[in-house]
Amino acid sequence: MSLMNEFTKGIVRENPLFRLVLGCCPSLAITTSVDNGLGMGVAFTGVLLASNIVISAMRNIIPDSVRIPAYVVIIAAFVTMTDLLMHAFTPELYKALGIFIPLIVVNCIILGRAEAFANKNTILPSILDALGMGLGFTLALVIVSSVREVLGGGTFFGIAVLPENVPAILMILPPGGFITLGCLLGFLNKIQKKTA
Amino acid sequence: MQDYFIIIVSAVLINNIVLSQFLGICPFLGVSKKLSASLGMGGAVSFVLVLAGAITWAIQSYILKPFNIGYLQTVAFILVIAALVQFVEMVIKKYSPALYKALGIYLPLITTNCAVLGVAILNIQKEYTLGKAVVHSLSHAAGFTLALILMSGIRERLEDADIPECMQGTPIALVIGALMSMSFLGFSGLI
Amino acid sequence: MRDIIKLGAFLLVISGVAGLGVGYVFSLTNPLIEKQILQNKINSFKEVYPQADKVENETASYLRESHDPAVKEVNIAYRDGSPVGVIYAVETKGYSGPISILAGFDIAAAKITAIKVLNQSETPGLGAKAKDKFFQDRYRDKNAAAPLEVTKTAPVKEIQIQAITASTITSRAVTKGVNAAREHFAANFARSK
Repeated sequence: MSLMNEFTKGIVRENPLFRLVLGCCPSLAITTSVDNGLGMGVAFTGVLLASNIVISAMRNIIPDSVRIPAYVVIIAAFVTMTDLLMHAFTPELYKALGIFIPLIVVNCIILGRAEAFANKNTILPSILDALGMGLGFTLALVIVSSVREVLGGGTFFGIAVLPENVPAILMILPPGGFITLGCLLGFLNKIQKKTA
Repeated sequence: MQDYFIIIVSAVLINNIVLSQFLGICPFLGVSKKLSASLGMGGAVSFVLVLAGAITWAIQSYILKPFNIGYLQTVAFILVIAALVQFVEMVIKKYSPALYKALGIYLPLITTNCAVLGVAILNIQKEYTLGKAVVHSLSHAAGFTLALILMSGIRERLEDADIPECMQGTPIALVIGALMSMSFLGFSGLI
Repeated sequence: MRDIIKLGAFLLVISGVAGLGVGYVFSLTNPLIEKQILQNKINSFKEVYPQADKVENETASYLRESHDPAVKEVNIAYRDGSPVGVIYAVETKGYSGPISILAGFDIAAAKITAIKVLNQSETPGLGAKAKDKFFQDRYRDKNAAAPLEVTKTAPVKEIQIQAITASTITSRAVTKGVNAAREHFAANFARSK
């Protein structure tokens, strides 16, 4: 039961983007299309999963005083691997996400999970935690990018859903990212108030 | 000379690091409630950014490139930045405890501030010379500080404003960010 | 003191293992990445000049300092061993950054075969449409003898290219790049001199 809890908490209750407002940079920058949002989410989940496993496996070996630099090196290594793999196998996505793939390394969520969860727990809960958080972040990215792609480009997964000239280009420009995330957060707050 | 001017204008205004490149959003939202704190944060980030820009440039040109290990870029850069941040933290703690207290949790977080690593990578991607890399980093640092100061100026006034409860805090900050980003959009096409 | 050495050694080992891991993945993926970049290049060449069976980069023998700096590469397309077309790689400055373009020319017909926008950072939804087929098709089969010009309305003359709606600067930039290639082509390859 409690293992299940580790998995589900990241999706809604402690959703990294909507609840904890972590990892804003990629969620504003690359959410111009659902494809990109989903791709980013998957790459992110992969890195988080790998780093959580390794860090929780090594939690008794890593000396406390140098744990942060050690985490950073481990995360950076996995990010670079992801970067190379994406370049080799998904070149289109690699081009679209650009600089934000190496920047996964500075995504606060990954270091945050390493510090707050993986270094205190065994491997199994750490895997579930990573999957839950990854899924939650991916879900959040997909929601933000759906709003932006539909309103800004008039398409969804590249398929036209709105008649031409209806879309507001502003939504896929930088301001659209801020507005979408701001309004979504406000909306979620409102819902939470009602249910609480 | 013209090259340098273009780099400065484009980095500070057109491709403002926070408002159009979306790097360094966390401190932009987190430390922008007070003008003094955002000044301090801007200063700390600028210092790290320029130093990191120069050092990572040197690492790229003198170590990674000659030995053909460009794929270690991310690992090498993040280590340099982490070490630099540690150093800046020690200096500020020693000489300005008040500032240290004001910046609080966000100081160690400069390590995970994507602006620093982002600019370091951009410097390499754009194949700048050392001089241009430093000017480029400096202008992005200025752009970052500018965005932070403008934001905190607005947010200080928001304290008296009547905002719907659900929009208070981060949501309204993001909407303000949107409006600022929109006005910075007007700079594009300047050069 | 001993502590510091121990911690330092620990970090060194971690970095070493991480470096080895990344190096291993790099050695696996690098051939794939390079193959892909090459394949991409061949595919783009095919798009702007379909009838070639071999394309050689001959920038060194055709490009002089005096030429327009926008022209970056001169590739000659061969068919059955004789040159039939020229594929230029050009780079111009668009609205928000550099735009790189491939432009193909047919030597016999002295015409543009096709163009392809490779990289751009123009405004999404506006200037970024330069990479869409409808805009690139506007350059198809244009005569290489006279400079092309951009018009905001429907073209009435052969040399006119209709701009993308609300993105005249981007359209002009692309046209300027194509013109630079065209000029080089007209001076070096056109037979109807």
